Amino acid sequence: MTRERGDILKDLMDGVFLMNEELVIKAANEIVANNYDAYDAINNGLIAGMNQAGVLFDKEEYFVPELLICSDAMYAGIEILRPHLKKSDKREQVKVVIGVVEGDTHDIGKNLVKIMMDAAGFEVHDLGRNVPLASFVEKAKEVNADLICLSTLMTTTMDGMATVIEMLKEEGIRDSYKVIIGGGPISQAFANKIGADGYADNAAGAIKVSRSLLAKAAA
Amino acid sequence: MNEKTRLLKALRKEPVDRAPFICPGGMMNMTVTDLMDAAESAWPDAHLDPEKMARLTLAANRLAGVENTGVPFCMTIEAEAMGSQVYLGTRGTEPRVTEYAIGSFAEIGRLRPIDPGAGRAKVCVEAIRILKREAPGTPVIANLSGPISLASSLIDPIVFYKGLIADKGNVHNLMKIVNENLIRFGDALAEAGADVICIADPSATGEILGKKVFADFALPYINALTNYFREKHGLPSIVHICGDVRPLGGLLGEIAAEAVSVDSMVSIKTLREFAPAKVSMGNVSTYLLEKGEPADVARHGERCVRAGVGILAPACGLGPKTSIANIKSLSRAGRESGVAARS
Repeated sequence: MTRERGDILKDLMDGVFLMNEELVIKAANEIVANNYDAYDAINNGLIAGMNQAGVLFDKEEYFVPELLICSDAMYAGIEILRPHLKKSDKREQVKVVIGVVEGDTHDIGKNLVKIMMDAAGFEVHDLGRNVPLASFVEKAKEVNADLICLSTLMTTTMDGMATVIEMLKEEGIRDSYKVIIGGGPISQAFANKIGADGYADNAAGAIKVSRSLLAKAAA
Repeated sequence: MNEKTRLLKALRKEPVDRAPFICPGGMMNMTVTDLMDAAESAWPDAHLDPEKMARLTLAANRLAGVENTGVPFCMTIEAEAMGSQVYLGTRGTEPRVTEYAIGSFAEIGRLRPIDPGAGRAKVCVEAIRILKREAPGTPVIANLSGPISLASSLIDPIVFYKGLIADKGNVHNLMKIVNENLIRFGDALAEAGADVICIADPSATGEILGKKVFADFALPYINALTNYFREKHGLPSIVHICGDVRPLGGLLGEIAAEAVSVDSMVSIKTLREFAPAKVSMGNVSTYLLEKGEPADVARHGERCVRAGVGILAPACGLGPKTSIANIKSLSRAGRESGVAARS
């Protein structure tokens, strides 16, 4: 029996935020079998579910382990649906270069921001952790990024963030990118001091800050 | 009252002339590059040689006014001994894990037991023997990686954190092996003469795990360790909890260790409310210690003392560029305001 589109979308959404990957896989396959729109299913099912998980994270009902499992379920669904996207679905996306600055290997926070940016539909270029500072600049130029996101958990490596901004200035391309920073020891005051465009203290906040910076830039 | 007597009495909540000022070592780093120059013993060599390790931590005691010594200077000894690959870092950066010992929980059987008679574990044991000989009146702190931090240094943290929800049985299996090995290493450090155990578990913050997972997977293993060292060796313990402790709430009071140390974002007042039976320890911002002036540091130290801190300490590990002058300033503030507060 064929189910309504809305019912399947609800399974996709619930499957993601209730951490039920099997439900997501079953529902995603159902979307494909019924020829329902894959783009719609990703956005209004999977990503809606991830956003709900983000809300629970914000409310301190979910923590890092829960968010990681939700994201696994989301990615499992995207994997099934992606081959069925139509050409017209590929819109101009926000491009992001993200990574943990050189000398630091703590990447949980960065991974959470990446997950929420994927969920927000951004095109994310993840450089990983312990990233040489010049690589941020090179990658941003290569992909024509809108945002550069720098993360660190350590006081000893936070000055590397200022170095990246200096490198952009030296090349005369500082204004081509919005630079957002975050991580344990980082604060709005530190962001102001080094001339970063934005600061966020958690993954959901990073999306809000990004959107508001890009909206301002477009206005 | 010598440094060792004062710290041990403070940990037992017995009367002391003032709160001791300590930097435990391990994650709670006490070594800075100026001390490396003065002691002619620098990272990364000091991680590999017991004599250099002892000399460097003694320099923190003698030149910067830190009222203890402590080993090691990193959180990688145990993970390396159990099979992870470690890059020893540089003069200004700490060692870190570059490759995990196992790729999945199915490979738990491949983990090696720590051999305290080999490698860098042995370096720590021998360094403690030297410290006992050179500075018998100064307490030696043996720093152990926290169980969650060690577990997530043996297997990719992403795999580990997901396991906390989706593969609980295997996570407990791994945690049991982790604790057995921390006890094996801790036994050797205690037998060499360590006076206090300090456990820091930065991967087990309330913000990362949430209260329930912390209660199920962090607290029981941390408490098993500190109870063991008290019963077996008569040693008191300090447990440092990174990040904001508010998500943990009353769980903080269930920590079995004698002392609880917190990050700078938590006030000593909050700590004392959450864990009234514990010796409170902390919590001068290490950012301020690295970037601020001696007078700022002293003011923050005095504030902790006025708030009734049981042990004065930095809130986290010192950044390697922190000046000796700032550490000394905190030490002096502890001595002066500490005595004033109790007289």
